[in-house]
Amino acid sequence: MSQTFTVPVRDLTKSGIPTLADIGERLRGGAWAFVLLGAGLLGLGLVLQAERGWGNLLLTTFNLACVGLGGLFLLAIQSITGARWSDPILKAHRAMPALLPRAGLLMLLLWFGAATLYPWARPDAATHEALHGRLGWLNPPFFFGRVALIFGAWIWTGRRLTQQGKGAAPFILVFGLTFSVANFDWLMSLEPVWSSTIFAIYGFSGMFLQGIAIVTISAIVLRRVGLLPAVSKAQNHDLGKLLFAFSCFWAYIFLSQFLLIWYANLPEETGPMRLLLQGRWMPLFYLNLILNFGLPFVLLLGRKAKTSEAVLLATCALLLAGRWLDLYLQIMPPVLHGLTPAFGLAELGGILLQLGLGHLSCWPVFMKDANPAQELPQGG
Amino acid sequence: MATTELRNSRFRASFTDPEQLLRAVAYLRAAGHRVLDTYTPFPVHGMDEALDQRPSRLPRACLAFAALGLALAAGLQIWTSAVDYPLIMGGKPLLAIPAFIPVAFELTVLLAGLGVVASFFLVARMRPRWRVPDLHPGANDDRFILAAELATDVQFPAVARDLADLGALESSLLVEDRFQRGGSFWDRPAGVGALLLACLPAFLILLLVPVLNRDFQRRNLAWDGGMGAPLSAQAFDASGVLPGGKVLQAPPPDTLSRRGEPPLAYGPGKAEADRAGRELPNPYQPTQARFNRGKLVFERVCATCHGREGDNNGSVIVARGAFAPTVLVSPVVRDMPDGRLFHIATFGGPTKMKGYGDLLSREDRWNVVLYIRELQKAARPGPTASTPASTGAQP
Ligand code: HEC
Repeated sequence: MSQTFTVPVRDLTKSGIPTLADIGERLRGGAWAFVLLGAGLLGLGLVLQAERGWGNLLLTTFNLACVGLGGLFLLAIQSITGARWSDPILKAHRAMPALLPRAGLLMLLLWFGAATLYPWARPDAATHEALHGRLGWLNPPFFFGRVALIFGAWIWTGRRLTQQGKGAAPFILVFGLTFSVANFDWLMSLEPVWSSTIFAIYGFSGMFLQGIAIVTISAIVLRRVGLLPAVSKAQNHDLGKLLFAFSCFWAYIFLSQFLLIWYANLPEETGPMRLLLQGRWMPLFYLNLILNFGLPFVLLLGRKAKTSEAVLLATCALLLAGRWLDLYLQIMPPVLHGLTPAFGLAELGGILLQLGLGHLSCWPVFMKDANPAQELPQGG
Repeated sequence: MATTELRNSRFRASFTDPEQLLRAVAYLRAAGHRVLDTYTPFPVHGMDEALDQRPSRLPRACLAFAALGLALAAGLQIWTSAVDYPLIMGGKPLLAIPAFIPVAFELTVLLAGLGVVASFFLVARMRPRWRVPDLHPGANDDRFILAAELATDVQFPAVARDLADLGALESSLLVEDRFQRGGSFWDRPAGVGALLLACLPAFLILLLVPVLNRDFQRRNLAWDGGMGAPLSAQAFDASGVLPGGKVLQAPPPDTLSRRGEPPLAYGPGKAEADRAGRELPNPYQPTQARFNRGKLVFERVCATCHGREGDNNGSVIVARGAFAPTVLVSPVVRDMPDGRLFHIATFGGPTKMKGYGDLLSREDRWNVVLYIRELQKAARPGPTASTPASTGAQP
């Protein structure tokens, strides 16, 4: 039918059909180029405008960590419920946690940008009225200690789960606690005046949706290159249903948070919201809703759509862009002090870095137990 | 039914494992038998394909009912709160979409759910029966069961042997369907009688309501744990928790309110304004307190249009280029008697200005008049023009 986007078009002049090893070679080169270019652009962004550079590094890190956690969390609930529908695509889940160590290292890099990002890390933090009495929790040494601890817990429980298939229940417990802390610490403390008690579940809904989207994309691509031969329409249908359901869940949580702020109209809560609802950030606010809920809802409503790989791939791409935008809208307004939103070198660099690192971390896991000389299936 | 010769051709088989069931279905279909349906404790992956079933059309009913629910909820809320009875609540716009979402969501889900179940019963022609036909006792438990029809000129025992090889616990021919033939009363569809019977508990409870809860003003038998009779405080009751020991709380400071005042002996209109100017003196003497109060009221109410100095400077009307209000520090207004200004503050100007009698207390309107006089003095220092002497008489 159609040629897939990762499988290179068959070169008729070359003898033989490309093998997995060939693609791995080519993709690895590309991924390294992405990583280097991304890091360079991000560095340039840092020099040009420190706030935006550090903000994008935080975004990149958090996004990568969430992809890793998404795979782990899916794996954990499937292990707990004894799910069997996902057996053919478990390889796609197992690869994601490989991102966590890299994300952890990037997160520790933020030590040098903490003062630019977080009001509590600035010298004048003690005079900030909203930080009064909170500096015992929010101070650089303790904060980064927690970062190390949290990533350590994720990496350790993740290893156990992916390699030995053990510890799903403890992982969920640890995850619930640490992921909440991570959301409150890393994202919400960017704007100390603003607070939302369901911020962590909001972050969770986005992370889970993103995890499913990544797994779906990986499963489809891996099936097409012949690494997951057992995948059938049934798996696509199930993944489609999960995507549809959790897109609705995201919207539900989004509204739960937004509605109360909108109704109660408390100045400290509405302040940041107003910035999003009025002026230059407004189109992004609505775009976020459209990408994460509106379009996926319409696209995935039908049964046929849920099994069609093309629709699934398109929806997942929308969702991943939506998740990036969602995080952008959580991180950038306070970091830029409400200035105009912008997409430039730093943003592009962050995205390239994510793609490159994502590929470099996951591909070796995909290739585990696979025969590199295996030929690609022809004809999609 | 009557035309075909009596041949018991339908049979069932039960399994303990979904894989065995799948294999049996594939085998039977390959051998030319018609598999009617399978009954499993949970959806078995691949069964739809194995049975080669057309996808259900119920989702369309679901979508239609969902759309109906959404339209109903949105229509009802928009019509009641933005069209039929527009009432501003909580400072939100009349068409406050976020506030409509929860109800719209609930109604969408509710109608979609009920509608799809009702459609299912309708399409599947499932009507209540006195006695429910039981294909196999394990169908409601942990068995995986199939029902099928023998291909012509195949004998059942041969099929049964093959099924046993495939792991069937047991398989048997089904007896002629009693329900088709009428049989006893209990085998017939239940009809309206069963429906009424099913509603009996609800009727009984309705009958009990007057007994259990006679007087809605009084606490009766607390069958609901007292939920129906909450403690409620009346406006003039004493209160143990609220400040001042009373339920009724004083409005926050600086709230401008109407008081219970006797009606004014003047109506709106030019003639009445003139009469008020002739007859009504300002009952109050200028003091610092009245000055402050007058300033507060003037700046909150009048200054938006007339400007803080009464000179239209900063007036929203003038700033927008519409008609201009009268300049309050101009000689015309300076020469108006106090009573006339009071009348204007109460009933409004000759053409455009709204009266503020409904929003400002009588005393505040007099205070404002005093304050306007001060503004006029400030605008033109020196001996004041002749103003009617205030006598202190009550209006
Ligand atoms: C919504 C705008 C508005 C507000 C608020 C307002 N006025 Fe006026 N006022 C006007 C306009 C316009 C006129 C011009 C005459 C007319 O069209 O009624 C006017 C005229 C007047 C006049 C002169 C009437 C005449 O006969 O020419 C007086 C006195 C006056 N206002 C007093 C007040 C006082 C006192 C208040 C506060 C309680 C007040 N106004 C609040 C718009 C306003």
